[in-house]
Amino acid sequence: MTRRQRWWIQVLLLAAVLTLAGILINNLTVNLIRTGLGLSFRWLSRPAGFAISEHLLPFQPSDSMAWALLMGWLNSLRVIACSIALATVLGVVAGAASRSNNPLFSALAGLYVGLIRQIPLLLQLLFWYFVAFLGLPSEPLAPLGALIRISNQSINVMGLNLSVEFAAVLVGLSVFTGASIAEVVRGGLDAVPRGQWEAFRSLGIGEGLGLKSVVLPQALPAILPALSSQYLNLAKNSTLSIAVGYADLYAVSDTAITQTGRAIEGFLLLLLSFLLLNLLINGSMQILNHAVLNKGQRT
Amino acid sequence: MQSCFSVVLLALIAWALWSTGFWLVQRADWSVVSGNLPLFAIGSYPEASRWRPILWLGSLLLLTLFTLAQPLLLRRGIGLNSTILSWSWLLMMPLGLWLLAGGGVLDPVPSRLWGGLVLTLLLTVFSGVIALPLGVLLALGRCSELTTARQLSKIYIDGMRAVPLIAVLFFGQLLLPLFLPVQIEINRLLRAVVAFGLFAAAYVAEDVRGGLQAVPPTQSEAAAALGLGPWQIQRLVILPQALRIAVPALTNQAVGLLQNTSLMAILGLVELLGISQSLLANPAYIGRHLEVYVWLAALYWLLCTAMALMARQFERQDPSNLIATRRS
Repeated sequence: MTRRQRWWIQVLLLAAVLTLAGILINNLTVNLIRTGLGLSFRWLSRPAGFAISEHLLPFQPSDSMAWALLMGWLNSLRVIACSIALATVLGVVAGAASRSNNPLFSALAGLYVGLIRQIPLLLQLLFWYFVAFLGLPSEPLAPLGALIRISNQSINVMGLNLSVEFAAVLVGLSVFTGASIAEVVRGGLDAVPRGQWEAFRSLGIGEGLGLKSVVLPQALPAILPALSSQYLNLAKNSTLSIAVGYADLYAVSDTAITQTGRAIEGFLLLLLSFLLLNLLINGSMQILNHAVLNKGQRT
Repeated sequence: MQSCFSVVLLALIAWALWSTGFWLVQRADWSVVSGNLPLFAIGSYPEASRWRPILWLGSLLLLTLFTLAQPLLLRRGIGLNSTILSWSWLLMMPLGLWLLAGGGVLDPVPSRLWGGLVLTLLLTVFSGVIALPLGVLLALGRCSELTTARQLSKIYIDGMRAVPLIAVLFFGQLLLPLFLPVQIEINRLLRAVVAFGLFAAAYVAEDVRGGLQAVPPTQSEAAAALGLGPWQIQRLVILPQALRIAVPALTNQAVGLLQNTSLMAILGLVELLGISQSLLANPAYIGRHLEVYVWLAALYWLLCTAMALMARQFERQDPSNLIATRRS
C-alpha cells in the first residue's frame, strides 16, 4: 500500500465509525426526548427506598441512592477479595497435587478440574445456594465446638457472622476459579525444567520443601500474569451473585434502575464502578508482580 | 506420613462414592427429570409441531456421533468424506432456524415459545456465527499497521473484556432499543444473541491475535516477494496459519460460549437453565433442586466434552478442510 492509500483507508474507517456513533447517539436523543426522560443524575441523592440485606456500613432505605450503590460496591469488593484468597489456596493446592508423584493426588486434582470447568458457573452457584447452604438444618451445627456454627440461616466462623448468600457466592466463585487457577499453576510448574525437580530430589530435599523453595520461585514469573487475568475473571463473574440474592454491585444497580427507570445513567455508573474494581485488582497484581520478580532476581 | 494420608483420603473417597451412589439410586426422586424430558429438550414448543425441534436435535446427535466415530469408520473404509461432514455441520444452522421458526411449508412459531436444550444450542451457534467473523476482523485490525484501525480495535476489545457478560446482556435487553430508530423493533431473542455475539467477539479476537502473532513475519515477507497484494497475503497466507494455531483456544471459547448461555436465564429466557428454574418454582417439584441440578450438570458436561472432542478431531484433519469450516 502506498502512503496515500493508507491515509485514505484510515480516514474512511474513522468516518465510518464516527457516522455509526453519530447515528446511535442521534437515535438515543430522539428516543430520550420521545419518552421525556432526558439524562440526569439527580436521582442519586434521592432516598433509595429499598432495603439491602447486608451492608458493611450503616444503611437504611431512607438513605440516598448513591449510598446504596456504594454499599453494593463494597459488598462486591468484599466477596471478590475473599474469593480471590480462597480460590488461590484451592488452585495452588490442586495445581501442585496434579503434578505430585502420588497418583491418588493427581487423579483427584484431575477430576476436580475436569468436572468443574465443564459445568456453567451459574449452575454451580445455584447448587451451592439452594442445595448446599439452604439444605443445611435450621438448628446450628457445631462440628468444632464454638469455632464454627453452620445453619441455613447464617454461617458463623469464629464470631464472624456470614450470610448464607455470601457463603454461597464465596464458595461457588472460589471452587470455580480455583479449577482455572489449578490449570495456570500446572502450566507454570510444567515450565520449570524437569532437571530442577530431579536435582532437589537427588539432594534429599522433601517434596513440599522442594516445591516451595526450588520450583515455585521459578514458576512464579510464568504464573503471575495468568493469575491476574483469572482474578479479573473472578471479579467479572461475581456479578452472578444476583442469581442467589447477594446484594452485590450489579444487583443493587439493577434494583436502582428498576426503581428509577434511569437505565442509561445506572448503566454508566455500573461500568465506571467496574472499571474502578478492575483497576484495583490490576494495580495490586502489578505491585505483587514487581515484588516477586525483584525478589527472584536478588536471590 | 504420606501413605497414612493416602489411606485416609481413600477412605474418604470410598465414603463419598458410596453415599453418592446411594443417593443416585435410592434416595433421589428422578420423576422431576423423567416426567419433564420434553420440557428440558424443547421447552413449551407447540404440541403439533414438536417433531421439528426433535428432528433437529436428532440430526445434531447423529452428526455428532458420526463425527466422533469417524476415525474408526474411516479405518474400515465406510466413513464419510470430511468435506461432506463439514458441510453438513454448516447446513445444520439454516436447517435449525427453518425448522424452529417455520416459514414456507411449515407453520411459523414465534421465538418466545422456543426453549430448553434447543434454545441453548441455537443461542450458542448463532452467537458464535456473529463472534467468529467479527473477532477475526478485530484481530486483524488489532495487528494492522494502520494506527486508526489498531486503536479502534484495541478500544473495542479492551472495553468489552473489562465488563461482565451480564452487564452486556442487560445492555442488549434494556438499552439497545434506545439506540435504534423508533420504527425498528427486534425481538428479545435476537437482542440477546447480538449482545452475546458482540461480547464473545472480543475474546475471539484475542485468541486469533495470538495465532496471528505466532505466524513468523517471514511468511508475509515471502508472500509479498511473490507479488501478492496485502489482502491476498492475509487471506491466503497469514489467516489460514493463524486460525489453525488458534483452534485450541477457540475451542475453549466455544465451550465457554455454551456455558455462558446459561446467563440468559437471569434475563428471563427459558433455555436449559431457565426452564429448570421455572420447573423448580412449580409447587409439585418443591425441594427437588439437587436432582435437577445434577441432571443439568451431567447434560452440560456431556455437551462441553462432546464439543471439545469434536474440535480435537477437526484439528487432526487436513488443514484445507479445517480452514473451510473455520472461516464460515
